[in-house]
Amino acid sequence: MSHIPPMPTMRDRTLKYLLVLPAVLVVFATAVWPLIESLRFSFYQGRTDRGDFPQNWLGFENYTWAFLYEPPFWNSVYVTGLYTVVTVVLTTAFALGLAMLLAPGGKLRSGVQTLLILPFAMSPALIGVSFRFMFNPEFGLFDAFFGVVFPPLADVSWLANPDLAFAVIVMADVWGWIPFLTLVLIGGLASVPQDTIEAAQVDGASGWRVFKDVTLPQLLPVLAVVIILKAIFSLKTFDQVFMLTNGGPGTATQTLSHYIYITSTRYGQVGYAASVAWLMVIPMMVLTYFYAKFVFKKDDGA
Amino acid sequence: MTDQTTPEIELSEAQASEFWTGKRKQRFWRSIQAILIVLAAFVMLVPIIWIFLASFKSHVEVYQLRLFFTPTLENYGTVFEEPYNLGAKLYNSTIVAFVTVAFAIPIATMAAYSFSRFRLKFETTILVVILATQFVPAVVIILPFFIMFRDLGLLDTRIGLIMVNLAIVMPFAIWMIKGFIDGIPMDTEEAAMVDGSSRLQVIKNIVLPMAAPGLVTASIFCFILAWNEFLFALFLTNRDAVTLPIGLALFRGEEGDLWNLLSAAGIIIMAPMFVLALAIRKYFVQGMTMGAVR
Repeated sequence: MSHIPPMPTMRDRTLKYLLVLPAVLVVFATAVWPLIESLRFSFYQGRTDRGDFPQNWLGFENYTWAFLYEPPFWNSVYVTGLYTVVTVVLTTAFALGLAMLLAPGGKLRSGVQTLLILPFAMSPALIGVSFRFMFNPEFGLFDAFFGVVFPPLADVSWLANPDLAFAVIVMADVWGWIPFLTLVLIGGLASVPQDTIEAAQVDGASGWRVFKDVTLPQLLPVLAVVIILKAIFSLKTFDQVFMLTNGGPGTATQTLSHYIYITSTRYGQVGYAASVAWLMVIPMMVLTYFYAKFVFKKDDGA
Repeated sequence: MTDQTTPEIELSEAQASEFWTGKRKQRFWRSIQAILIVLAAFVMLVPIIWIFLASFKSHVEVYQLRLFFTPTLENYGTVFEEPYNLGAKLYNSTIVAFVTVAFAIPIATMAAYSFSRFRLKFETTILVVILATQFVPAVVIILPFFIMFRDLGLLDTRIGLIMVNLAIVMPFAIWMIKGFIDGIPMDTEEAAMVDGSSRLQVIKNIVLPMAAPGLVTASIFCFILAWNEFLFALFLTNRDAVTLPIGLALFRGEEGDLWNLLSAAGIIIMAPMFVLALAIRKYFVQGMTMGAVR
């Protein structure tokens, strides 16, 4: 896989595996084992208020329960799905626009590029807190801003309204992720051959046509990586939601991760929570598969 | 393809740009772009600036939408006093992030060297699995640990937190360091081995010094990840091992959020990470995408 051909030394034969062993063990213990253990839990009744754990074997009952008798489960599937689609589309669109704006370089542009790193170094929990602050009905800056720009929103309490609360968690997420995706896309734009663009311009193609016919097709692989990556992180969203709305009002902003958190900690239903968690792992595996394909395609091409 | 469509475009372009002749049009677009860029930067920074300002506001002033106020450092003192005691959380966060990195980086470096320089059986599979673990939802990972730590009495301990944080940090560390080692040419290594150095000597005397900047970068990146980690700490801690992000919940008092204190705590959490992130900003994108984008 690597770019450099391996050096043939006999002694290295065992050494190369010894070097990898600790890392493999750690990854196994901290990620693979819990994944398998969660799968095991999902077939049991696993309540935390009992002494032993897990308790009775249930087979697929936890899964059937989620599918058939748990409207809150379907609610969180819906919230997570909508949230993922909306945040992926908005973040990618804004990031692409911003990347196009910033790509040419220069003092102003590279200064702004540097600033873009800041939101990304902020803990998502803190982003949640700051957006709760910004949308406070009495002294929130964004709340006041939207009230001025769009007067019908002047007197609403954003986080108390189900639709608006959803809009706020979307805004917080988009705000937090635009910088990172922008930086990735700027990198992508830099690899689009400049002479192709110039040739198209000489041919008299408009800016839009150059973008659509030359830049975009070249950018597609990077764009695909960006979209997959963002989708994965959107599906997992928890921190901001917990800090911003705690799933509310009611369950209007309850993502799957939050639903699993509540069922396992507040209701002590770890077995059931594990089954829902595994339902979440499946789409993640599909996305990871595509992501890995991109990573290794790049590697082979180099 | 372009040959067929070009004449049409030329015509419509010519019509459209009748008014906007060359230079004027260019200048117009340049200023529009500059305005948009400044606007974007402003939107990116406003929440951060607002928190920064609020952290210097008094208890009364923070509940008003005001730009001008008498700044006070009081909040930065209050958050460290009882009942908030942010110092203990700061200590926990620092220890947990530091020890996590101290374990992860040497282990990851060994593996990364091997992945980079040798061909291993199942190499691709192992690398994909490592990559994939990064995408496993944290809630899935935490459930078995929650049960195990409960039985072992490791709930609310820093050791427990460090163990699970390795799950987050390891894949990034391995992939990032592998990227750095891939970029180091092999000639020096080969020459040293021809001169009779052993592989381990080569690693110690040649590879590690050359990879040092990369190792520092990866360490900083992992430190930020561990520092900002939220979900694991929320499940596993409740009093003794509480970290800074969880500590934010302390400021949700009975009379609502204590915004001036929340803001001061927020600044304490993010300011060091801003410094670290700026220091390694060139590698941030590479680190996050684990080599999918270069």
